Amino acid sequence: MLEAQALTKRYNGVTALDALTLTVAPGDVFCLLGANGAGKTTTINLFLNFIAPSSGVALVNGLDVTREPLETKKYLAYIPETVMLYRNLTGLENLEYFAALAGKPDLSRARMLAYFAEVGLAAEAADRRVGTYSKGMRQKVGIAIAIAKGARALLLDEPTSGLDPKASNEFSDLLRRMSANGVAVLMATHDLFRAKESGTRVGIMKHGTLVAQHTTDEFGHADLERVYLEHMRD
Amino acid sequence: MLPRIIRHEWRALTADATLWVVGAVFVIAIGYGVWNGAHWVRFQRAAIATATLEESERYGRLRQQIEELARGGTVSPFADPRSPSNAGGRLGPRYAVLPPAALAPLAVGQSDLLPYYFKVSTDSRDAVVSSTEIENPQRLLVGRFDLAFVLIFFYPILILALAYNMLSAEQEQGTLALALSQPLSLATLLSGKVLLRAAVLVGTVVLCTLAALVVGGVDLASGGALPRLALWLGAVVGYGAFWFGAAMLAASLGLGSAANATVLASVWLMFVVVLPAVFNLAATTFFPVPSRMELVQAVRVASDEANTAGSALLAQYYEDHPELATGDAAQAMNDFNVVRVAVNDDVERRVRPVIARYEAQLTRQQQLVDRLRFISPAVLMQSALYDVAGTGHARHQAFLRQVDAYHAAWRGFFTPLIFQKARFADYDTTPRFTFEEEAPSTVAGRVLPALAGLFLPALVLVWIALARLARFPIV
Amino acid sequence: MILRIARKELLDLLRDGRFRVLAGLVLVVSLVSLGAGWKAYADLSAQHRTARQATREQWLNQPKKNPHSAAHYGVYAFKPASPLAMIDTGVDPYVGVAVWLEAHKQNEMKYRPAQDRTAVQRFGSMTGAEVLQVLVPLFIVLMAFSAFAGEREQGTLRQLLSVGARPRDLALGKAVGMASALALILLPATLVCVVALTLSTSEGLLADDPTRVLGLSGVYVLYFAALTAVSLWVSAWASSSRLALVVLLSFWFANSVVAPRVVSDLAAWLHPTPSAVEFQQALDADLNDPAEMEQRLARRRQELFRQYHVDSEAALPIAFSGISLQEGEEHGNDVFDRHFGALFDQYERQNRTTQWAAIVAPTLAAGGLSMGLSGTDFAQHRHFVHAAEAYRRGIQRTLNGAITANQKPGQVYLAGRELWDQVAPFEYAPPPTAWVLRQYLPALGVLLAWLVGATALLLRAASTALVD
Repeated sequence: MLEAQALTKRYNGVTALDALTLTVAPGDVFCLLGANGAGKTTTINLFLNFIAPSSGVALVNGLDVTREPLETKKYLAYIPETVMLYRNLTGLENLEYFAALAGKPDLSRARMLAYFAEVGLAAEAADRRVGTYSKGMRQKVGIAIAIAKGARALLLDEPTSGLDPKASNEFSDLLRRMSANGVAVLMATHDLFRAKESGTRVGIMKHGTLVAQHTTDEFGHADLERVYLEHMRD
Repeated sequence: MLPRIIRHEWRALTADATLWVVGAVFVIAIGYGVWNGAHWVRFQRAAIATATLEESERYGRLRQQIEELARGGTVSPFADPRSPSNAGGRLGPRYAVLPPAALAPLAVGQSDLLPYYFKVSTDSRDAVVSSTEIENPQRLLVGRFDLAFVLIFFYPILILALAYNMLSAEQEQGTLALALSQPLSLATLLSGKVLLRAAVLVGTVVLCTLAALVVGGVDLASGGALPRLALWLGAVVGYGAFWFGAAMLAASLGLGSAANATVLASVWLMFVVVLPAVFNLAATTFFPVPSRMELVQAVRVASDEANTAGSALLAQYYEDHPELATGDAAQAMNDFNVVRVAVNDDVERRVRPVIARYEAQLTRQQQLVDRLRFISPAVLMQSALYDVAGTGHARHQAFLRQVDAYHAAWRGFFTPLIFQKARFADYDTTPRFTFEEEAPSTVAGRVLPALAGLFLPALVLVWIALARLARFPIV
Repeated sequence: MILRIARKELLDLLRDGRFRVLAGLVLVVSLVSLGAGWKAYADLSAQHRTARQATREQWLNQPKKNPHSAAHYGVYAFKPASPLAMIDTGVDPYVGVAVWLEAHKQNEMKYRPAQDRTAVQRFGSMTGAEVLQVLVPLFIVLMAFSAFAGEREQGTLRQLLSVGARPRDLALGKAVGMASALALILLPATLVCVVALTLSTSEGLLADDPTRVLGLSGVYVLYFAALTAVSLWVSAWASSSRLALVVLLSFWFANSVVAPRVVSDLAAWLHPTPSAVEFQQALDADLNDPAEMEQRLARRRQELFRQYHVDSEAALPIAFSGISLQEGEEHGNDVFDRHFGALFDQYERQNRTTQWAAIVAPTLAAGGLSMGLSGTDFAQHRHFVHAAEAYRRGIQRTLNGAITANQKPGQVYLAGRELWDQVAPFEYAPPPTAWVLRQYLPALGVLLAWLVGATALLLRAASTALVD
């Protein structure tokens, strides 16, 4: 579903991403691990066509994101680290707006409330202004948008940072359900625990290079940490 | 997609309380501006009515006096209404009037400075045409709070206030990334935002103005009004397009809201305040109008020369106008009035090249200045608005030309009578003046270049903005 | 303490890139406008000199003719250019440059330069006054809006207060610092202006000019001080520098752009003026008063009969026709004084309203004073018109007196050069500075009130609102 082929990005002589090659199949939850500045966010921005690659290609459902910017976005959903919505609009109104932009206008209220329920948002929250939501609630709205959109691939940037354990757990459940539905998930994260919990594969990035790829079945939690730290040692 | 964005933007805008306040101030300003313009038009119409009444009352008195004289009254020769030179000169002049155009309330323009009625007599052209309306010079200096002022100064500020943070606010808020992760191009998003704001602002301006005009008693359906209204609408849209284009270009540069505000405020200051003022300075320094003081002296010298040669001139005059030579040439020479006509004719002839040279210089300077008005959209907007309202320079020039023709016709009517020393009886036969309003095509011919000067740069700005969006730093 | 703070503020400003750019612009624009104004004044003075000589020669070179013919021939009076008009052209473009002084009529001044220019000029020209009243206030706003609010946001304000700097001293120090920076920028232009004025020693106007220049500088110093105080006050009071900027820019826009027009309309609404047609009708009605003339002439006749112990006009040793002409003039003069006086008084009432309206917009006061001290306001135009009219009346008295003394019955009295010489050339002396200032006492008062009020508010805001 998501494929990077020798994807490279250079800024002013600094190589932020060096010939990244990876594939995320439908149902896969691929966790990109690495330090700040390792290239995780750059990868996500490249898939979103927010920045242009210096060389290489990013494919979404077989389509080049630079050549088909609008078409590829139909398959993608993006949850940034801090999901910012329109503060003066309610949760439902935000969902309606973004879903419409995504090509799914005319969602009925019942259907939207169903999406809200699916992501674990209380119905009474749906009509409250988003300015009153917690971070976790806003993230859920973001996921609801992804579901409403019918996205086949989810791009997540540090999704669990700032979430309390309960919210994190709810998030894991959501991810599992989406993966079961055949959605390909690419998640950039620091959270080794969550990576082991929810992820099917992990990739370790260091200074713009993907230095290792494994499936999570290979390790236990402690092992994952050890492998990670070993790669991080210079 | 676009309608969805537009609807969303509408909600976002209407939720902002400060915009309602600013909008209210703007609406009040428009209403007051049109009211002020209408008030001035009423004043002009009242003055014209006074003049017309004065003329008809005077004519009534003169007719009465003629009847009394016929029944055997006496009167001094200087006040005799039956003398054609008195009739054409002191007693019977008529007013040549420039009525306010159909949409005059839209802009006071130059009409507070340029006289709109003249008392036309057999006096020299200069004496006829140099009268002015009464106005405190300090008021003329400052100008009026009319709709043109509101549109030239306020309207861009409102546009920039609404549009300066179209993209930068979303970026700073964090919603831009989420919006752009949908199958939506930045160009579409920006266009939706601009279209909504443009529709709201232009709609407000047009509706408020039309309402104010109707309340002010302007007949919008009259023949002259509709084409002018169309041109006015073009000007409002064109000027707005320029400023929205500027805002779009600023937005596409990807600076923050504060930087955008600074850049756009400087652009406003440059184009609306500084450039026109500097331009005026350059115009008066490098294209100065020729000196009226010199003209006064030249005219005096010419008239002195003509007066000195008084009687010789009469002979010359008869040679030029043989049809007027009645038998008693010797007696005519003593006739003060007849000599005076000949003298005046000679004065005009000597003075004409001086005046012609002066006016040619004047017109040249004015045309040079006119050509340079493309330097600033504010100047273009002013010229378009003034021409639409009929209060600009060009319509007044047309009026002056018609007054000249009328003055010549007036003199042409009375001169033979003076020479024939006929008894003048019927005041109703004196030539009347009606201003021939300019055809809408003439007005359009003047306004359309100004509109082009507004729309073309606007299109260029929009085009550059859309092109630059490709490099907009979304993250 | 205040001076130390002021010195630091000045240094800070001089090193600020923004300040340098803006200061450079203001400097360039002010010098350019001064140069253009100087050229315009030089041209106008030359034209005026030529015209004055020409009209005087025309008067003197009249052939022998009856004095009344000479009275109808008349003389032109031209309004001289004021040297300080190079800074503030005031109403000069909107008033006539020449007036024809003839018998029986008080003519209006003709040929307003503005009528010969196109509509663009209504935007205003970049004169020194425009720079000082529109651009420099904006400059002050841009320099001062972040003086307190910006320091609060940066955190340096907290640090200043923690070392024991007194808010009052801070406020005054910043004010003095800004004022010094402003003075530095305007100094070159002022010096150039003074030099230019010294060089323009024609027309004997130099005598009063130093006081006018001093007055003009004083007015602008007052105006800028008031604006600096207002800007600093808003910066201290506002909760963020962005709010301060928005408030101050709105104030600038309202003050410099909107207020003059709104107040002008208000003044005209309170003190309306008639249309030219109405004015002329009223004037003609009063002039055309045969009954009044009869009374006057009868009275004079009786006086003269008594004086010369005769009982008929023919027996008078002087020509009654001359007396009659002069009585006609006197009657006309009374009517003119009444009507023109009322009209000009109405203009002055409008202008006085504008001065008082400066309570809401200080530009109106500064603008009025600037025009007044430059010699280009309506009051001084009226002064010239009055002087020209007095000269005209003098001419009529001289000529009619000559007729009275010399006209013999049955002869045509022709006068020549000896009579024309008796009319002295028209010398116009502009009013002294004290006279001008007397016209503008309300404006001065209002400006002072602004300065005092703004400073008081600033000091209060400094002591209470500075701490978070």
